[in-house]
Amino acid sequence: MNKFILATTISLAIVTLSGCTNKSVVRYGDATAVETNDINFGSTDLQKIASQMTDSLLLSPVVGTLTANTRPIMFVESIKNKTSEHIDTESITDSISTKLLRSGKFRFVDMGRVSAAREQMDFQQNSGMVDASKAVAFGQQVGAQYMLYGNLASIVKSNKDKSDVYYKFTLRLMDLKSGLVEWADETEIRKTKAKESVGW
Amino acid sequence: MKNQLSVMLILLCFTFVVTGCKNTPPVTSGIGSKRITPEQEYAKYLQINNKQLAAQLHISDIKSRKSNDLLAINLSLTSSYRKSQQLQYQFQWFDQAGFVIEAGKSPWHPIELHGMQTLTVAGLAPSTQVATFSLYVREVPKKFFKF
Repeated sequence: MNKFILATTISLAIVTLSGCTNKSVVRYGDATAVETNDINFGSTDLQKIASQMTDSLLLSPVVGTLTANTRPIMFVESIKNKTSEHIDTESITDSISTKLLRSGKFRFVDMGRVSAAREQMDFQQNSGMVDASKAVAFGQQVGAQYMLYGNLASIVKSNKDKSDVYYKFTLRLMDLKSGLVEWADETEIRKTKAKESVGW
Repeated sequence: MKNQLSVMLILLCFTFVVTGCKNTPPVTSGIGSKRITPEQEYAKYLQINNKQLAAQLHISDIKSRKSNDLLAINLSLTSSYRKSQQLQYQFQWFDQAGFVIEAGKSPWHPIELHGMQTLTVAGLAPSTQVATFSLYVREVPKKFFKF
């Protein structure tokens, strides 16, 4: 009888243990929630930088003056990645330019699509397939008045118990006519990773 | 017999412990404010969905003003807890008719609130159409196994 109870208990324990294995479960998550999976540059850092830089630019008195009666035309030069990580900085500039565009205060020219636009206009002008009176002519585009550019730098320190990464993102707005930097700001992010005991 | 009983007891205890070996969903409730206009007194519109967090943290002030035609908010959070808290906050923006602006795009911002600290954070409306706003504060979920 005792052996039977023992065998049953062991069987139950094995069944329970087998339920504790790693099972892959797919779930949709909140793309805007704070993500702390690891210490590397992540979605929260990207959203924080884009949000803080856009807010700072839009709140600036200089920008208030620039956008009082007109929507200045800007272009975004690439952000220089000076960190030791591979970071898609174009994604940061995309977020910033989208937010600025949607604010209704600025307009943008996209230098990354110049060759595609030229190809399309060339097709309209020279292929003979587009009504010449309706084809978009060369030489009518407007140029940017201001340039956004910046840097992303990091300082990483770690020992066997703790890792610390500090990011600094700097963004500047230059008046292309005068060469003056009209606005600049920087934002900082500090992330640490340390060993923690299991919570009960 | 005694040995067998001991083994059974140990196994049973182990079984109970192991059954708790799962990732429980994190607590995502917090404190915040209902949709308010800049003119309304924020204190009347506060909502507490997490009493444990409300005992450690309270919204001590909400200020707003128009800057460059955009609604700017200052939110002051005060800790009544002696240890640091890892928190995240989010603003949501609505137009005059109460429709949400930029639905699902307003990010949660992480902050560390030190013991007994009062921290003011800022938010800026994404467009000039914003007339009302709401905000919410909750903890950053810890990646612990909970039993």
